[in-house]
Amino acid sequence: MKRRGDVESLEKLIGQLQGLHSEISLLAKKSPNDGVNSFKLRLINRVVAAANEVLGPDYLPFGDFEAFDADDVPSTSDVALMLAQYMEEAERYRSDNVKFWHGNWVYVVKGEPSDIPSGAPTKVGRK
Amino acid sequence: MLIRPRLTDYHGITLAQEDADFAIPFFDEDIPLYVDPFLMWRSPSQQDIALHGALLTAFNHLGQLALNGHEDEAANALIAASECDEVGLGSSRTRHGKRIGRGKAEELLAIFRRIPHYATHGLSHIEELQFFVEGISKDRISDFACSFLKSFLIDFTIDQCNRLDIPTAPKTVPNVWDPRSRTFVSVAASLPIDPTDDRPLLLVPKRWLRFVPWISYEGYFEKHCPQDDISHEPETLTRVEVLRYNRDNYGVVASYIEARERAFKDAANDPLFSQIPVRSARSKLAQIKKLPTGKVDGADTKYEAAVGQLLPSLLYPNLDFAQLQARTDSGVSIRDLIFYNTQRAPFLQEIYADYGSRQITFEMKNVAAIERIHVDQLNRYMADELGCFGVFVTRNALKKAEAQRTIDLWSGQRKAIVTLTDSDVEQMVEVFDSKQRDPLDVIAKKYAEFRRACP
Repeated sequence: MKRRGDVESLEKLIGQLQGLHSEISLLAKKSPNDGVNSFKLRLINRVVAAANEVLGPDYLPFGDFEAFDADDVPSTSDVALMLAQYMEEAERYRSDNVKFWHGNWVYVVKGEPSDIPSGAPTKVGRK
Repeated sequence: MLIRPRLTDYHGITLAQEDADFAIPFFDEDIPLYVDPFLMWRSPSQQDIALHGALLTAFNHLGQLALNGHEDEAANALIAASECDEVGLGSSRTRHGKRIGRGKAEELLAIFRRIPHYATHGLSHIEELQFFVEGISKDRISDFACSFLKSFLIDFTIDQCNRLDIPTAPKTVPNVWDPRSRTFVSVAASLPIDPTDDRPLLLVPKRWLRFVPWISYEGYFEKHCPQDDISHEPETLTRVEVLRYNRDNYGVVASYIEARERAFKDAANDPLFSQIPVRSARSKLAQIKKLPTGKVDGADTKYEAAVGQLLPSLLYPNLDFAQLQARTDSGVSIRDLIFYNTQRAPFLQEIYADYGSRQITFEMKNVAAIERIHVDQLNRYMADELGCFGVFVTRNALKKAEAQRTIDLWSGQRKAIVTLTDSDVEQMVEVFDSKQRDPLDVIAKKYAEFRRACP
């Protein structure tokens, strides 16, 4: 990550993705084919747009996906699936940018371990 | 030619029944609703209450005429008032009603002499006639009300036509009650015309319409009338006996009227179309999903019946249901649902502008796979008012060759055919239940998908 601000954007994004995903997956379990109303779609699209910007081309789940089209009447399960993909990619991005330093996991900013604490990467031990 | 033409659609005015203040008249048949004068009486609007007063004043005037020896004049007026063809309400398929006979008119006037309360105070609701004279029911009550209030209906019609730009023509309307001279006169007015027989049409406010009047004989007979007192053999209790009892026991009728007046808050007008409840929509969907394709055990008829009940409700109020049509093309029986395009949603405006669809056809096909011949049949049918936009309602998605054929139709003739499958209908029912989206959006989605596939 280039700036400390990037860490903040990523953490905000992860929080929003998790929040949306838990809400939408509840709806998806109840009625997977139900449509998502335009108000929710607008909010979801804002988070997706933020994710596209924060994650950058290397970490996008699908290169050609930009946002949900309200005309497509995406179902709750469609949205839940897509949000899950974004969450995975956000976690991969985070895991690639943390380091175990002096007994703590911290974010790496400008190639150097910073003083911003982080959680352990989910891929620990694999890389 | 439009299928089951309505006044507005005939003149190219797209208006959903939901958004209109009046019941949109059909040319070829009556609207199966009646004017209930009680709805004027219970209305918060001073105008409606005044109209109810005027109606009663006119009717009671005829009663007084009869009491004072002018029976002929009163009977003639009643006969004239007994039918109001211009409004087209009721159950007639021809929009032509029959007037009451002389005998019935005299019978009606006789109650003013028979029942002392009426001789001195007159009626307080004209629905009370149902309790004393046989053959007088919701249709006559509605016609009496419309005849005596025709002058108001003419004004209402002219006002609505001006607002909506419905074309009118000068016509003479017979039997318009003139409260000053207290006679029926003919009035010249500029009114919309029924092009099938060149007669004037009158529009009726939706807020006055009910299937059954609030004060009805059936309600009285079931809940209020002391059946045991009238006859000890309830099985053989006839209407005539009840009416005879009523004439001698005005108090029983009066207490029923009072009870109905007290419950006035529950009296509401009936909608012209009521959607099926969500539960019922879900059970229809479950029924559709269980059906096999083809004709085994009448599966096709059941499929068409279920879809025929489901779609008009799902698409209301954006599309007004016109008719279930059965036709034959090359020896194949075809059933489709025709809707009026109301242009209520942007998608419908697009369909109207791009494909000239004043009506939209949904062809139902309970087949495993749509074949080339089916596409060709729908293609041939899409012309004139039906426009160049059609929908298949079928079980499975089109196969590649048929999908390509629909795309070719768009490329060559700019005709659009979209397909609603079981899963699309399921999604429509889901959003109908959850109210998260409009079921029409699912059709818009299918159209967007179709257009993306087009070159």
